[in-house]
Amino acid sequence: MGVLSFLAGIIASSVVASIIAVLYSLVLPGIERKVQARVQQRIGPPILTPGWWAVLKFRYKAKTEPIAQMPGFYKSIVYLGLGVVILLFLFSTPYWWAVLGWGSILGLAGLLKLEEVLYVLMGSQSQSILSTSMPVPDLAKGAKGEGIRREFVEQHSAERALKMMAIGSIPLYLALIVPFAAAKSGLLSSVVALQNPAYSAASWFSLPLPSSPILFTVPGLLAAVVYFVGYVMLLNEKPFSILKAKIDVIEGGVLEYAADLRAVYYIMRNLLLFTLSSIFVTLFLGIPFDPFMPLLFILNMLLSLIMPVALAIFVAFSPIFTFRQIYPATIGLSALGVLAMILAASI
Amino acid sequence: MSDQPKPANAENVVVEKELSFGPVHPALIEPYRIRLFVNDEIVEDCEINMNMVYRGVEKLLEGLPVERALLITEKVCGICSNVHAWNSVRVIEEGLKIDVPERANYIRTLTHEVQRITSHLIFFGHAFEVVGHETFAMRSFLLRETFMDILAYVGGNRVMPSVPIIGGIRPRADLTEGLKRAILERVDEFEKKYTEYVNRIVADPLVMSRLTGVGLLSKADAIKYHATGPTGRASGWDFDLRRDMKEYKSFDYNIIVLQDCDNKARVVQRALEIVESLKIIRQAVKNLPEGPVVNRSWIAGRMDFYTALLESYRGELMHSYALDGQGMIRSYKIRTPTPANLAAMEKACVGDHVTDAILTIASCDPCLACCTRAEVVESGRGRVMSDTEIIRKYGWRR
Repeated sequence: MGVLSFLAGIIASSVVASIIAVLYSLVLPGIERKVQARVQQRIGPPILTPGWWAVLKFRYKAKTEPIAQMPGFYKSIVYLGLGVVILLFLFSTPYWWAVLGWGSILGLAGLLKLEEVLYVLMGSQSQSILSTSMPVPDLAKGAKGEGIRREFVEQHSAERALKMMAIGSIPLYLALIVPFAAAKSGLLSSVVALQNPAYSAASWFSLPLPSSPILFTVPGLLAAVVYFVGYVMLLNEKPFSILKAKIDVIEGGVLEYAADLRAVYYIMRNLLLFTLSSIFVTLFLGIPFDPFMPLLFILNMLLSLIMPVALAIFVAFSPIFTFRQIYPATIGLSALGVLAMILAASI
Repeated sequence: MSDQPKPANAENVVVEKELSFGPVHPALIEPYRIRLFVNDEIVEDCEINMNMVYRGVEKLLEGLPVERALLITEKVCGICSNVHAWNSVRVIEEGLKIDVPERANYIRTLTHEVQRITSHLIFFGHAFEVVGHETFAMRSFLLRETFMDILAYVGGNRVMPSVPIIGGIRPRADLTEGLKRAILERVDEFEKKYTEYVNRIVADPLVMSRLTGVGLLSKADAIKYHATGPTGRASGWDFDLRRDMKEYKSFDYNIIVLQDCDNKARVVQRALEIVESLKIIRQAVKNLPEGPVVNRSWIAGRMDFYTALLESYRGELMHSYALDGQGMIRSYKIRTPTPANLAAMEKACVGDHVTDAILTIASCDPCLACCTRAEVVESGRGRVMSDTEIIRKYGWRR
């Protein structure tokens, strides 16, 4: 009976949490775009347009077969990506903390890494018309570069994704470790218990507030800065959007997703935007997204707005970095992350 | 690695792959084709082909009465419409020695400088879009509105103001006292916002890190490839046709020449040129001479092949044609600055990262719609050569 009720609870909480998260996350890009537009003295789109209506629009667009080396696999990657992000979000919700240690630094970091791998796979598969070998005179009439391998721009994007995976995301992982180092445990439950002792005994309608959030300590503050920049890197937003720099690599490996697939990609991207923000609120403020505690999850959702809004302002004032700038930025942030980790462990 | 193919004109350079962009590419504002030969992220060689939009403008002009040429020459380009119209009429005015009233020259110069500012601000918009800084790009377009309005005040149209005609300017483009006041007010208002804007760009370390030391074009290379206009001047080549133009003799302004040779220099060059243009605009309005604005006492007749050169916004612009006994155009030739500048950029982007290379190419402010004129078949080798290739191979002779 105990196992059954636990299973029923985990299924119910997963369904409720996933639905709320997806619906809410589709509002975030609208807020993000609106903030950017106001910074740029533009009106910007209606709040629901870039998320909600874009997804609905793509849902009803004519379906086209993507041009890819393995179209079936290419199409499945986006669904796999959505699954990974949903799991990532669920692992940060309290019911999953008790399942095989998935609600831990390993569960979160593992899924984030998997999500990054998917970008490499997308890029290596997509073969859009933008770089299709065209029968133009420059090749046919003996101009430069005959015989040199021609690469699809998406494949170049995949190479960049690989580099970003190798070095670009290190700061985020270092920042993720800091709350766990402070709690001297690898489990999310311990991190929340350290900051919000009242949570474990709270009833469903109450609002247990954290007594000692890690964010308001020196290591927490340093880690929050590093986490934010890592968040921008993982979302491939400016200035770290080199794998979809627009001027050379358009949208990276997702170029061939259209209609339904594009809609799923939008949901995946927006859910990741929310999930990373929600994880930040859970880890650094001790306010988890508990689907069965309405006041608590609403507070988590509201505080999760901080990151996308900060992201929008950051993006509005940033150029795109090339690897000339990304490498030193990553090294500097990683050093800051290590310092935060050492400080957190020594408290 | 030794089996790797090498680009045609490079030695000891390993090229891993080719990345080609365009002509179908949403980020290229006009249809041209960039082939980058890269090793990892570093560009080892580059080829730009721009012969994608041949419009046959010169052919359209053949046989037209010369006074109707303006209908077409002004439409060669939307951004530099006035410069094509002006240079088109300068050919016949200089060829047949037609006097132009001084007041008309002032208003022509004013319109020219106003459109230079709009062109340079479009460059900022495009360059910062390529850099990825949307806010600076948007602000640039916002600032540009002032001068689009001034063009509309003067010529009645924001894009095709149609100010010059043979012998002067259209009477409707004459400046009234109210209009002069309005222009000065708008210019003052613009200057404050513009100074703030430029200071912010120069003080932005992230943007400057993208621009500084990238896309180096030495003075020697600038001269070799005849990189004209701001592109050449940003590489230390002190060359500006306005020095030789009689229309500019009565104005006090500086020719900006920078020595840094990189993308930052090309941005700053244009930023400073805008300041000089503002000076000229103010002088044109304040010192506008009285008198007629058009001289109608001329008759189109036979004219030998004549060439007029003008310092347009991107560099040297050439219009050249002859007239037959009935005043009909024969053999119209237009040469815009972009082919020479793009050829120089092929050289400048070598050694850049891929993303920087596109920025370097954009830093010469290419305008493709007006530059593609013809392709030449090189005899003996049986291949079609683009304008860029011709300049690269044979240089440019005036």
